[in-house]
Amino acid sequence: MLSGRQQVVGNVNSFNALTNYNNTSIVNITAGQDAERHQIIRWLSPLEPLQRHGGVQTDRLDSVGNWVLETNEFRKWCDGEDGCVEPVLFCYGNPGVGKTYLRYDRKAACLETGNAGVTDN
Amino acid sequence: MIDALCDQAVGKDIAVVGLYCDFRAQQEQSTTNMLGAILKQLSSRGGIPRHIREAFHKSKEEFSGRLPRLPDMVEILKKTIMSLRRIYVCIDALDESAPGHRRELLESLQEMVRVSPNMRILLTGRPHIDDEIVEFFSKAIRIPVIPTQDDIKSYLEMRLGCDTTPKAMDAELRADIMRIIPEKISEM
Repeated sequence: MLSGRQQVVGNVNSFNALTNYNNTSIVNITAGQDAERHQIIRWLSPLEPLQRHGGVQTDRLDSVGNWVLETNEFRKWCDGEDGCVEPVLFCYGNPGVGKTYLRYDRKAACLETGNAGVTDN
Repeated sequence: MIDALCDQAVGKDIAVVGLYCDFRAQQEQSTTNMLGAILKQLSSRGGIPRHIREAFHKSKEEFSGRLPRLPDMVEILKKTIMSLRRIYVCIDALDESAPGHRRELLESLQEMVRVSPNMRILLTGRPHIDDEIVEFFSKAIRIPVIPTQDDIKSYLEMRLGCDTTPKAMDAELRADIMRIIPEKISEM
């Protein structure tokens, strides 16, 4: 979550990016695109779920809860063909049983490097 | 779990995104902001899809920069998901969202799943929201998460390892802790 101050700093930085690099047209275009990108990202949502995921990865214990990933229910939901499986899986439990920490143990930058992203068309 | 999904998604045009509900942030975690956070993660790498840029400029020019509204966000997301082979959306601690937001979110997800067969949704939460989930997804697969004896022992060992006054505990007390706590939890 961005605090008000962080948002102000972010705005100032975008402004700086635009004003500091007026020297050459090429740099200016790049800075303009970056500023637009930041504006769009901010427009989409103020939430920062990736930051929270990093904290969960740091705190969790290896191996705990791995059995969930071995269940038939999980495997079927995960690997089944589209249209052949129920798309929604609900893992439920009482507070503190470790639902959040179910095997968050791999590469810290996974969401940055592993996902497909979407293409710029 | 997100990481396990990411591992299998690498290089396959499959996206994995994660959202977290927090009762301290109920206000900000409106359905529109939550769905926007999915798009934000999808746009975090590579360029921003053209239809998102167009929607942004339209809001800027026609509505003086108004933030996206829920129906617009749902449409943008549907369109974005179409360009992926598959997307896994993981939403943690759904019980911590405000009840009104939760219903709205489930309703939006229901609408998206209807037109996007390539979308899979993983929800975690306390058992009491089961009825609500079933209301929107009558056939949802459900897995009860109960820590195994090994899970509890690993956790206890970690916590004992962090003890700031280890000398205050002898081997016998340690053995009792490792034996009795897992037993008691199993009886719960």
